[in-house]
Amino acid sequence: MIHVRNLSKHFRISTHSSGMAGTLRSLISRQYRTVKAVDNISFDINAGELVGYLGPNGAGKSTTLKMLTGLLVPTTGDISVNGHLPWKTRKRYVARIGAVFGQRTTLWWDLPVIDSLSLLQHIYRIPADTYQRNLAKFTKVLELSPFLDTPVRSLSLGQRMRADIAAALLHDPDILFLDEPTIGLDVVAKERIREFILQVNAERKTTVLLTTHDLTDVERLCDRVMIIDQGKLLFDGQLSQLRARFGGKRELVVDFAERYDSASVVGADLVSLENQRATYQFSRGETTASELIQRISSQYRIRDLEVREPDIETTIRRIYEERLLATE
Amino acid sequence: MGETFTLYLRLLNLTLRGQMQYRASFILSLISTGLISLFEFGALLLVLIELETLAGWTIAELAVLYGLVEFSFGLMDNIFDGFDPRNFGQRVRLGTFDQMLLRPVPLITQIMGSRFELRRIGRIVIGFAVAAAGILVIPMQWTLWKVVLLPMMVIGMVCFFGGLFVFGSTVTFWTIESIEVMNILTYGGSYAMSHPVSIYPGWLRAFLTFIVPAIFLNYYPTLYLLDRPLPAGDWVAFLSPLVGIGVLWLAFRVFKIGIRYYQSTGS
Repeated sequence: MIHVRNLSKHFRISTHSSGMAGTLRSLISRQYRTVKAVDNISFDINAGELVGYLGPNGAGKSTTLKMLTGLLVPTTGDISVNGHLPWKTRKRYVARIGAVFGQRTTLWWDLPVIDSLSLLQHIYRIPADTYQRNLAKFTKVLELSPFLDTPVRSLSLGQRMRADIAAALLHDPDILFLDEPTIGLDVVAKERIREFILQVNAERKTTVLLTTHDLTDVERLCDRVMIIDQGKLLFDGQLSQLRARFGGKRELVVDFAERYDSASVVGADLVSLENQRATYQFSRGETTASELIQRISSQYRIRDLEVREPDIETTIRRIYEERLLATE
Repeated sequence: MGETFTLYLRLLNLTLRGQMQYRASFILSLISTGLISLFEFGALLLVLIELETLAGWTIAELAVLYGLVEFSFGLMDNIFDGFDPRNFGQRVRLGTFDQMLLRPVPLITQIMGSRFELRRIGRIVIGFAVAAAGILVIPMQWTLWKVVLLPMMVIGMVCFFGGLFVFGSTVTFWTIESIEVMNILTYGGSYAMSHPVSIYPGWLRAFLTFIVPAIFLNYYPTLYLLDRPLPAGDWVAFLSPLVGIGVLWLAFRVFKIGIRYYQSTGS
């Protein structure tokens, strides 16, 4: 569905030398510095996939998304989405995609939400029955009804984002691009949007590519993640692979049935022992959780336990750090 | 084409309904733009009463020249408000232009439908009244050709000024700072056009003929309306709509080049 080959986007940024002489010189001959916002990346996304696109600020996420939606023309490389070159056949291409770019609304600021939605019906030439069906469904799942008649400028951020996502999906697009769909929202609003994205992906087989800073988004939504930093694709694979390859130590938290003075066990580090709760760390590959639990339970009486996977935030931070080490 | 026009009307309908949410501000600016036009003409009138004529033009004749420009510029300002470089530059800078690129309908339709300032009606009404008063006072000798020419002049000027707006908007893809240069051309041009071109020095007349062909739009056709001699024959008066539409066409072509540039650089 989406094929990207050797995609690069370079920006020329004029550099200003300091001082009066520098200003004068830049009037005559401007000095340019080339910034490789996206540097030779390739990937494929199949129909129906839900992919998370991660990276720190300025890593090249938005630039990639802008090229995929046809807003920007690549410096070099090929993009083919549904057989389209996004920037070449703009009108035909954008009719088949949906896009929500972070903080900017696509809705008419001074008008009730419903007016914007009904205009989009005409813009996308959505058949009346499809429009009614989708509107009814989105209104229910995203709970739009309390503010359908409210002007967009009076909506809360969460309401606005829900309205925007509904607007982007009214025409049953094949692909949905989401740039930071949950940024700035409270936990409840985030969760509602996640549920909706999952549902759309499951029911309509809509391909979803989303960028986010929120790693809970990734854990809840994405099977596959791509990580970009300084324009280069650092990782592309399943979330579980990401954990296995870069993940730190797993943790085992044990609540004992009685108080022990020491609770050390072979194959794991005892990180803390407070009251009757012990926390162990162990590495994947060296020992399994079940071996460890057996060993502990043979020595101590366990009341309850929990295995904690390394959180993705630490995992991703490690990838960025390792990359820095590799380039130095 | 029909579909595009329907979409344009739908967009306008929404834009206007959005504006009506701010009724008090609407009425205030309606009155203020009308008053500005009225005072501008009043100031001109005061000077003229002293001079009695300007380069051989009577006050009534000057009123026709002035009123037609005001009327046409006001109309254009409404219709092409989305292309007003100030609005459009803002749109590019805030990134809302990207949203237009993401919709499967023509960009020009979206931009023209994005704004429509009813409040400028004040200027249109004053322009119309001044021109009409001039025509009644003169009094004008009507012929069929004059009846045809009058609306064509208005169309020509609306397209011409609209074209200048579109050029100005295109410039904002490259740089926001040079908007002022375009504004001098647009507003200076309309001001220059509201006076008899014969009062200007030769270099300015040449500029208004060959660089920014404003002279064809109002001055020559008004000469014809007032039965004054034209430099190369009466047909020159009828170039008005052709020049206007030509400038607008060219502006839209250049605008498309601007969009290509924008897509290669981002904002």
